[in-house]
Amino acid sequence: MASVKLTDVKKVYDNKVTAVHDFNLEIADKEFVVFVGPSGCGKSTTLRMIAGLEDISGGTIEIDGEVVNDLQPKDRDIAMVFQNYALYPHMTVYDNIAFSLRLKKMPEDEIYEKVTNAAEILGITEYLTRKPRALSGGQRQRVAIGRAMVRNAKVFLMDEPLSNLDAKLRNQMRAEIILLRQKLDTTFVYVTHDQTEAMTLGDRIVIMRDGIIEQVGTPTEVFEMPRNIFVAEFIGAPKMNLLETELVKEGDRWFVTPFGAKIEVTGGKTDELTRKNVCPGSIMLGVRPEHMVLTANGGEGSIPCKLEVNEMMGSELHLHVYTEDGTRLIARVPTINLTMEQRNQLVYGAQLYLTFEGKVMHFFDKESQLNLIYG
Amino acid sequence: MKQYTDLEYLKLSKGQRLLYRIAGFFCSIPKKIGGLFVALWNLIKTAGSAIGKEVSDIWSTFVNGDWKTRLSFLVMGFGNLARGQILRGLLFLLFEIVFIAYMILAGGYWLSMLPSLGKVGPTEEYNIIFDTYVTTYNDNSFKILLYGVLTIFFIIAFIYTWRVNVKQNQMAEKILATGKKLKSGKDDLRSLVDDQFHKTLLSLPLTGILIFTVLPIVFMVLVAFTNYDGTHDGYYNNLFTWVGLDNFNTMLNWQSAGGGQSYAATFGEVLSWTLMWAFFATFTNYFLGMFVAMAINKKGIKLKKVWRTVLVLTIAIPQFISLLYVSKMFAKNGIINGFLMNMGWIQQALPFWEDPTWARITVILINIWIGIPYLMLITTGILMNIPQDLYESARIDGANAWQQYTKITLPYMLFVTGPYLLTSFTGNMNNFNVIYLLTGGAPTNPDASSAAGAVGYTDLLITWLFKITTGAESQYYLASVVGILVFVVVALISLVVYNVLPSIKNEEDFQ
Amino acid sequence: MSTNTLQNDSRPARRHMGLRVSRALSNTAIYTLLIIISIIWLIPFVCILLQSFRVENTHQVGYVIPQKWGLDNYVRLFQTDFPRWYLNTFISALITAVLQTIIVLCMSYTLSRFRFKMRKPLMRLMLILGMFPGMLTMIILYRVLKDLGMTQENSVPGLILVYVASSGMGYYVSKGFFDTIPKSLDEAARVDGATRFQVLKKIILPLSKPIVIYTILTAFMGPWGDFVFARYIAFGTSKGMNVAVGLYNWLNKDQISKFYTMFCAGGVLVAVPVTILFMCLQKYYVEGVTGGAVKG
Repeated sequence: MASVKLTDVKKVYDNKVTAVHDFNLEIADKEFVVFVGPSGCGKSTTLRMIAGLEDISGGTIEIDGEVVNDLQPKDRDIAMVFQNYALYPHMTVYDNIAFSLRLKKMPEDEIYEKVTNAAEILGITEYLTRKPRALSGGQRQRVAIGRAMVRNAKVFLMDEPLSNLDAKLRNQMRAEIILLRQKLDTTFVYVTHDQTEAMTLGDRIVIMRDGIIEQVGTPTEVFEMPRNIFVAEFIGAPKMNLLETELVKEGDRWFVTPFGAKIEVTGGKTDELTRKNVCPGSIMLGVRPEHMVLTANGGEGSIPCKLEVNEMMGSELHLHVYTEDGTRLIARVPTINLTMEQRNQLVYGAQLYLTFEGKVMHFFDKESQLNLIYG
Repeated sequence: MKQYTDLEYLKLSKGQRLLYRIAGFFCSIPKKIGGLFVALWNLIKTAGSAIGKEVSDIWSTFVNGDWKTRLSFLVMGFGNLARGQILRGLLFLLFEIVFIAYMILAGGYWLSMLPSLGKVGPTEEYNIIFDTYVTTYNDNSFKILLYGVLTIFFIIAFIYTWRVNVKQNQMAEKILATGKKLKSGKDDLRSLVDDQFHKTLLSLPLTGILIFTVLPIVFMVLVAFTNYDGTHDGYYNNLFTWVGLDNFNTMLNWQSAGGGQSYAATFGEVLSWTLMWAFFATFTNYFLGMFVAMAINKKGIKLKKVWRTVLVLTIAIPQFISLLYVSKMFAKNGIINGFLMNMGWIQQALPFWEDPTWARITVILINIWIGIPYLMLITTGILMNIPQDLYESARIDGANAWQQYTKITLPYMLFVTGPYLLTSFTGNMNNFNVIYLLTGGAPTNPDASSAAGAVGYTDLLITWLFKITTGAESQYYLASVVGILVFVVVALISLVVYNVLPSIKNEEDFQ
Repeated sequence: MSTNTLQNDSRPARRHMGLRVSRALSNTAIYTLLIIISIIWLIPFVCILLQSFRVENTHQVGYVIPQKWGLDNYVRLFQTDFPRWYLNTFISALITAVLQTIIVLCMSYTLSRFRFKMRKPLMRLMLILGMFPGMLTMIILYRVLKDLGMTQENSVPGLILVYVASSGMGYYVSKGFFDTIPKSLDEAARVDGATRFQVLKKIILPLSKPIVIYTILTAFMGPWGDFVFARYIAFGTSKGMNVAVGLYNWLNKDQISKFYTMFCAGGVLVAVPVTILFMCLQKYYVEGVTGGAVKG
């Protein structure tokens, strides 16, 4: 139960590659923070520096106010769950969970208490005498979590704990981690490359790219106010559509003109644009696929395009389309809004018209890629 | 040379591709050599700048340091003691005392004698009381060289320790300035089983390597520049001394020295046979071993375990027994000849060990007998690792057994076993046991340089070296030269192969 | 016309037949080959065994089956220095096996698990040192050991020292093994509160049984069959020889007619225990050899 503070943390490898650039972050006590980003973005490295498994090339890391740069992992009072579980293959499940407690020279009956308790919470009591190799992936994952749980550590670190599980199990374990978090009530740092995990688990999300923090914020913040194109594309699936377009100001009203359509900016965005004193001109316009709307036929406010792929997802359709200049867009259309006849017409090459509302737009600078409002 | 793009290259025929690649290899040689020199120059430059940085660092430590630090320049460990790091301080101090005592008591003497390797040899004096000549032994060239080298090692160690001492003082000052605590002796001891555990683990093996490998090798390299041999043993009869490059001159001189071939000619002959031997020994074993492994592992072959065990059995039996015995089996009056004569197939004994060509071929054949079991084991493991779906897809693509072998098995094997083949090649170059126990180098080459021991047609450089040192004249200096040349040859081959092989370059790839 | 149709009709059938026949043929060929190989590989050992029981004379003969059988050769072995050689060999092999295993494991574990500044230079240095013929160092080691009184009759401690001292250089195979144990196990243990020493003791060593056994086995078999170093260190003194040097000398031109069958008997006595040991631990040996070659 402790806060974690990273100040100008840097990681430079021997071959002069910088994996993490000046990383600054304060993690509050009992907060659940998720590091997310594509592979190689330095998220795991940062986590491992907190754990003490990687040397820190510069800056300081504090846990509970104490600088831990030169402390060995064992002296940092942290617990960690690894991607491949890292269960000791020669020990039973019980011994695996008890390992750290034995190193602390805790009395055996106390260990018994703690281990059985943790096993019960995780539902692995019946496997306590088995070796890890006799367990399924999900069970191994539970053991790994159990091993970290009994530690009562100040900080709970998780390095892509779910990425070795199949999709169904992953959803289930994700829910269990949320429950676990409520039970343990401690500080969590969680690394993943999966934005869904990040959105569902984190109090705050740290989005990283190439060793740099792109944005820190709550799930709502990063989803609704992405600081730049990278964040906008990374969060949300399928990823945000980007259209090169003109931003036009007519009096107090703002318009965008993608592919001949003319759509007015509405909602709070109009005021924001005015307040931020944004220059009209060529910009990148971002619209999430779920905000794309299929209209019956062409008109002033619609973009004509041709259907390329129609993915039936059950409750909705993912329509992959391309416009006249070849720009590819995706629209998520609820199945329920379409008649069977309409659905049958959505075949390769079908002419479609897409539009979207003014309040769902995101505006990015073409050069700096920054959000014109929140950047 | 014209460079092709990938797409152009794909249009070439097989022959053109081969030519293109060979040409590319040769064209790259000057560049590679140039690169070597550049690398060497960079090495010198970085070393130079590193030394410069050290010196300026030491200087600034002295200038900026407090009196405790400054005094530590003279009295090692003083700063540690004064700042409460008793254990470290005492160790530094102890090391300095031991070093100074050693240099005064012994090191200075050895060092001063090193340039001459001893001045006074053993002298004989008439002793009236016993009425005999009594020999007094004086300087000992051997010890002078050995302890001289050791003293130099010691001095280097001292300089390094002194530098560490200075650096620690600097660090300690810095740490204290920020208000933190220094590590206590207890912390130091604890770190020896934790974050400094590698030092604990390595101390024993590295000491052994330093004393029993590095020191002897340095010593023996130096011997190549002396006249150390049986008659100049440095103590009991004559001293030995530095002779510069004379020994290399002798060895690489084409002029005949004292009858028979010149050394250079003998060396050339032995070297070429060594390379030939290494080539055949490595590749016959490799391919035949793979073949046997594939035969045993073929689907539908039963009793796999039995066949394997029969072969593995031969690994268990010490080579000196099997090799000596087999050597006698092929002797003139051995079982093989006896059997063949009893059957009436030959009239005279076959000259397995008497004729040079027969001997060489027999040695290679017997080496196959020795080597196949190992290769069978090694290749079995790798063959099983080849993903089966590669073969399945090849079969669906219409490849027959031979094509599957040449297009899948062989490339895979060569890639995976590349490093092994290299070590196996150099290992065979130095395969003392097989040659010495089988033939002892025989049959003797009558033309070989008479001064260099009785060189035979099957002698490798390594057995020749052995013969030189154990022969009547014990020409250690010559052995040393041969040893150095062996090193050069092995190093060259390894260097070239390392640069060509893809699978060696990155050890971390496997992790 | 009719032949043509016939061919066409029979083709698919023949294809099926062909597959079966050719498989049977090739299997027969392989069995024949394997039997021949087995015979070739076993003949020398069968010969040694048979010759060791041959008592009609002691020199080499052109036949294999003894005309008179007996244990005379074995009995006479004990009237020579052979028991002493055997003891020398056994003691030095045993102690070497223990010490060398410890050293090799220290070295290879460190190089596999720790990333310190001197690691790469160290490995490169050992690679280069390994290119010098090891025999060269014997010249000096012999003289130094002689000064220390560890040669000739007292060769055993000297031999052990020589075998063990540089064994750190042979770290490749076991390093390759350690490399295959996931590093995250170490890391998990360290996070769980283990020191590096505890990681080695509680996690790595229990997982390393195969490589430990392999290392012990090879470390034992090295001195058991060593010829070169023993030859140097014992240098002509019978009491200081090991079995290899002693038996080698029996096959000298002037000795062989007297000692040939005794050599065979001695060879059998040397080979049998180590072969039994080897056969029991064969699994581990195979694992080590295969792993080592792939890793290089």
